[in-house]
Amino acid sequence: MRSRAKPKENIITKRKSEAKYNISAWLFILPFLILYLVFMIYPIISGFLTSFTTGQFGIESKFNGLGNYIYMMKDKYFWQALGNTLLFVIISTPTIVIFGLLFSLIVNSAIKGTTFLRSSFFIPYMLSISVTTSIWKFILQPYTGFLNGLLHQMGVKDEIYWLGSTPLAWLSILIVTLWWTVGFNMILFLAGLQEIPDSLYEAASIDGANSWEKFCSITLPSLRGVIALVVQLQIVASFKLFGQPWLLTGGGPGTSTRPIVQYIYQTAFRSWDSGYASAMSFILFIVIGLFTLIHNKLSQRIEG
Amino acid sequence: MINKRKVLKMLQYIFSYAIALIWLIPLLWMFITSFKPDGSVVTIISELIKPPFTLHNYIKVKNTSMIPRWALNSIIVAAIQTAATLMVCSLTAFALSQMKFRGKKLVLVLITAGLFIPAESIVVPLYTFIVKLGWVNTYKALILPGIAMPLGVLILKQFYDSMPKELTEAASIDGASPFKIWSRILFPLSRTSLASLGIFAFIQSWNNYLWPLVAASDTSMMTLPVAVPTFQSSFNTSFSVPMAANVLASLPALIVFLIFQKNIVKGIAMTGIK
Repeated sequence: MRSRAKPKENIITKRKSEAKYNISAWLFILPFLILYLVFMIYPIISGFLTSFTTGQFGIESKFNGLGNYIYMMKDKYFWQALGNTLLFVIISTPTIVIFGLLFSLIVNSAIKGTTFLRSSFFIPYMLSISVTTSIWKFILQPYTGFLNGLLHQMGVKDEIYWLGSTPLAWLSILIVTLWWTVGFNMILFLAGLQEIPDSLYEAASIDGANSWEKFCSITLPSLRGVIALVVQLQIVASFKLFGQPWLLTGGGPGTSTRPIVQYIYQTAFRSWDSGYASAMSFILFIVIGLFTLIHNKLSQRIEG
Repeated sequence: MINKRKVLKMLQYIFSYAIALIWLIPLLWMFITSFKPDGSVVTIISELIKPPFTLHNYIKVKNTSMIPRWALNSIIVAAIQTAATLMVCSLTAFALSQMKFRGKKLVLVLITAGLFIPAESIVVPLYTFIVKLGWVNTYKALILPGIAMPLGVLILKQFYDSMPKELTEAASIDGASPFKIWSRILFPLSRTSLASLGIFAFIQSWNNYLWPLVAASDTSMMTLPVAVPTFQSSFNTSFSVPMAANVLASLPALIVFLIFQKNIVKGIAMTGIK
């Protein structure tokens, strides 16, 4: 054994034979590993294989070569759905990250009632997607909805179709997602803010820096790592967009707000075409992987 | 100078509390509407907060839906999944942190890669798999796929890595087996981490939507997030009954939040540790 290995690894091993240790270590890992291989790794592989077949639930599937992928290239609904998801990723990521940062600054500031404020911002995250969309659907409804009622009282005459027209439907999906999930980002930022030593701010005050200068020269640089993480998590979360449009707009009007996960879901569980759905799932997997890779490279460069 | 600071402070208060109010309005609206008689005006605030209030909507939800059964399903799935997740993740994290064995690096790489596999991209093959096993509409299908949580292993491994080595060293010299060291020393010591991780896992499981939507088509096997929209779809024009169903479906999670607020916040903050 090399001397540079972590010392704590030696503690237990040094008194026992290595073979015995190998076995007991694997016994510790086994329950997790079996579940992980069966329900995570195996589906990825079998999904990849299915993507080359004419897989239909209940019907014998045949090898189809690249058929599904060639069909995908020509399928305008695929491109539309992928485009919708990308649009949502590009718009929602900065929005929800910036609001998360703003809320964490509010909650971390020297005002009274921060526990109340924190709970208020976070509590929607505790709701399920079904409850969240159900509340908002009734709020955003035309004629009988709460929001239009409020706007009418404020003098707005028009009936606004929040969910029935684009781009308003997208705006609604964005607002609902922001309301529902911003608390999660806020907590991550808050943990980062509390790590910054007060002495930095005190020193800056002595130098006569104002709040904005302190934010730019201390807070933001100190949060670099947290920002990179939150952006990463938000990108993946936004790629998974499904429940909000599915339950709010059904992907409509038409298919204008249908994200890729919904198209996969409908292809698999409405048209029962598991081959094509698997092919699209695999592409989604690759696209998310690519975004993760690019983001990691970029944030490494920024962090130096 | 002092006046300017006072004004700024006041603006800060108004701004902060105004946003908090906006964030709470949808929830307050849900609560109040759920107690309004069917057909009342719920779009004008002054009308909304005026009596009469009634429990009729809740009775209607109870009589026309299987909500106790759905809640039971949700509790069974989330509770078993959480307990199993904590157990298998802790065992794995212990071995990865404290023991030396061949293939350790590979296991670690495999688990870390799992962080980037979105559940959405394996739903289709996973469903094909449980169809083959004949597991559609069973608790097994709802529970088992969610147990192996890579994030849980990595968080707990980090905690075990931070333990002073004297602890396990002393026990090892006294002849304690690795299993004893885990069960008597490190597992109990990681109580707080486990609690935070557990609550986080519970919320995720409780609110999980896509997988239960696929795996349970039978009304009696549905969890709350899947069942509630199905139930509500028959009340297109009524506000009050759907909101009562929403309140009932959210109550357990909101109670968990009020009790374990600190742990939840800690649990999420932990996911940020790299």
